[in-house]
Amino acid sequence: MDLLEYQAKSLFRQMAIPILPSQRIDKPADLKGLKIPYPVVLKSQVRAGGRGRAGGIKFVENTIDAVAAAQTIFNLPIENEYPQVLLAEAKYNADQELYLAVLLDPIARRPVLLGSRQGGMDVEGSIDKMQQVAVDQEFSPFYARRLMLKMGLQGDLIQSVSTIVEKMYRLFVEKDLDLVEINPLGISPTGELMALDGKVTANDDALGRHPDLAALSGKRQSSGLAGDRRNPYVGDDRRNSNSKAQQSPSQFDPKSQSPISNSESLQLIELDGNIGILCNGVGLTMATLDAVAHQGGKPANFVNMGSLDRYDGANALRDRTELGLELVAQDKSVKVILVNILGSASKSEEITAAVAGYLERKARANRHIQVVLRLVAIDADAVKKRLGQLPVQLASTLDEAVAQAVSGAK
Amino acid sequence: MNLTPESKVLVQGITESPASTRAALMMKAYGTNVVAGVSPGRGGLDLEGIPIFDLVEEAVAAVGHIDTTVILVDAYWVLDAALEAIAAGIRQIAIVTEGVPPLDLVRLVRKAEATETLVIGPNSPGIIVPDKLLLGTHPKEFYTPGSIGVISRSSTLTYEVALELTEAGLGQSMAVCIGCDAIVGSSFMQWLQLLDEDDSTEAMVLIGEVGGWSEQAAASYIASAIDKPVVAYLAGRYAPKGPSLGHAGILISSRAAAQKAFGVKAQNKMAAFEEAEIPVATRPSEVPKLLKKLLKKK
Repeated sequence: MDLLEYQAKSLFRQMAIPILPSQRIDKPADLKGLKIPYPVVLKSQVRAGGRGRAGGIKFVENTIDAVAAAQTIFNLPIENEYPQVLLAEAKYNADQELYLAVLLDPIARRPVLLGSRQGGMDVEGSIDKMQQVAVDQEFSPFYARRLMLKMGLQGDLIQSVSTIVEKMYRLFVEKDLDLVEINPLGISPTGELMALDGKVTANDDALGRHPDLAALSGKRQSSGLAGDRRNPYVGDDRRNSNSKAQQSPSQFDPKSQSPISNSESLQLIELDGNIGILCNGVGLTMATLDAVAHQGGKPANFVNMGSLDRYDGANALRDRTELGLELVAQDKSVKVILVNILGSASKSEEITAAVAGYLERKARANRHIQVVLRLVAIDADAVKKRLGQLPVQLASTLDEAVAQAVSGAK
Repeated sequence: MNLTPESKVLVQGITESPASTRAALMMKAYGTNVVAGVSPGRGGLDLEGIPIFDLVEEAVAAVGHIDTTVILVDAYWVLDAALEAIAAGIRQIAIVTEGVPPLDLVRLVRKAEATETLVIGPNSPGIIVPDKLLLGTHPKEFYTPGSIGVISRSSTLTYEVALELTEAGLGQSMAVCIGCDAIVGSSFMQWLQLLDEDDSTEAMVLIGEVGGWSEQAAASYIASAIDKPVVAYLAGRYAPKGPSLGHAGILISSRAAAQKAFGVKAQNKMAAFEEAEIPVATRPSEVPKLLKKLLKKK
């Protein structure tokens, strides 16, 4: 979960990382009660990068200008996101701007410290100047000093900047973060340091043990930031209206929330073809999408049910599978649903029951949809009996299932 | 590595949930030598002949040295369970639980390296040696004994490929899923090396994702250090971009940080495999065909 700048900075304040005096602005009129002296910087609080270039950051000299600028920024979407909050911050004249970050290297399975003397907006353009130090054992401040020397810092800056890195690292560990970034860290002509902008990404799996961070995510959702996502649950189906925590990003937005952590939810991902896909597991879902594309078919959408062990209660797997079928079928362009859920034989029975139950209900509601059911290690005769005259084609291999789905969707 | 049917196996979190109890019984039914379970507060009970203890060290005191533990406890207790097992002298750990915070894994990996402990998972169905040993939750239906080693980063996709192998008459010497989370306890490289040295393995299948960092690292490792034939299957050629699919990425929203730390690899995401001359199957059913070709050459 990405935190907004003002949320990241409040964590910096807790760690005694220096930040400028600032004030949160919920509506333009709040600027009338501004306690920071002008000139002031107004910053759009969105997760996207490049806010400055997009017009989301404005310098203002007085209240009238500030209110007008705030109105403009509140009405300016950046990468489809409207800010709910602005941050008003004192202006700062930095002599030099550094880049600092702490994150995990998944290959080395160690935290790494990153740093560059080319901070600010140009950092991506000078990646080759970026230095890194892996924290391969228990952290100690010398790792931070090692980074300072690699970056080419000298004199008092070695100690003062490495103290900031040390605090970033402590924050990273204490709060289970995926990323702590300060860009830029401003250095004034007198050598004073200031975290001018910051980015913090919390790890979704760890949110359960950080109620303070989890509360930020709750605030974000209720604030309607996800308002541009259309709600696909318009049907009057009882099961849909009862189920909780479903979400559907309307596009593959790299900044949308990870669907993985919430085992209660089923997430529908929409594409633009006519085959709905229901699978379990990321790898198998990818393989199934690949096989459909390889065969010349086009997936309309997909739902990854995740690990079947999540569905433990009586009928839980059956209910979830039916919900998954509902989700993929609500798009009217879906002609065929391909069900490829791999598990032990007992799971296959529950899935067959779900497909049968779903199609029987649809038949009563006069919605006709074809299902290709891929089943492994199960008594085919018993399944055929259970499915009767329902519009289901059975397949035992992935290739066969995909071929049937693609030809059925033509 | 001790993966013989006689090796002693502990199950931590044996009464944690119906799923964990089922998993323990499934292992036992498969022939795995499950000698004890641990569930704090349930010590003294027994589960269909498996004695349950409050502490790992009590289990070790009662049954003697334990080779492997399978961890099924709640995600936030995985690190503690693993450290407890290491403290009790257990050197092989399979973690089935998903959703373990990455920094817990960092601590565990450091400890595992210092004690030469082999960790697989988290978020893994574990290891299966067909008809001999099950350490985790692989459904037995997909596997048959043979000489192909399967190494994967995905659970259900492992079953899919195993099934294709089984149907094509290529049994498996072992299938291991190193775990589906972003940070996992052992690497593709470790397992490639283990299976390269394993006498019952003739050839290997590597299952991963297109463009994955660990997959690319594995490709160069195969070229430089592996003697046995290897075939890869990489899912995600046509998959949409973004975190909606793709494994538990540590989603780095800072492009600068991501570029530096993870490196922006070649445009052609298959390049590492092409350079290493590793055949890459376009779909699971192609894996046995490519393997047979390589085995014939040998």
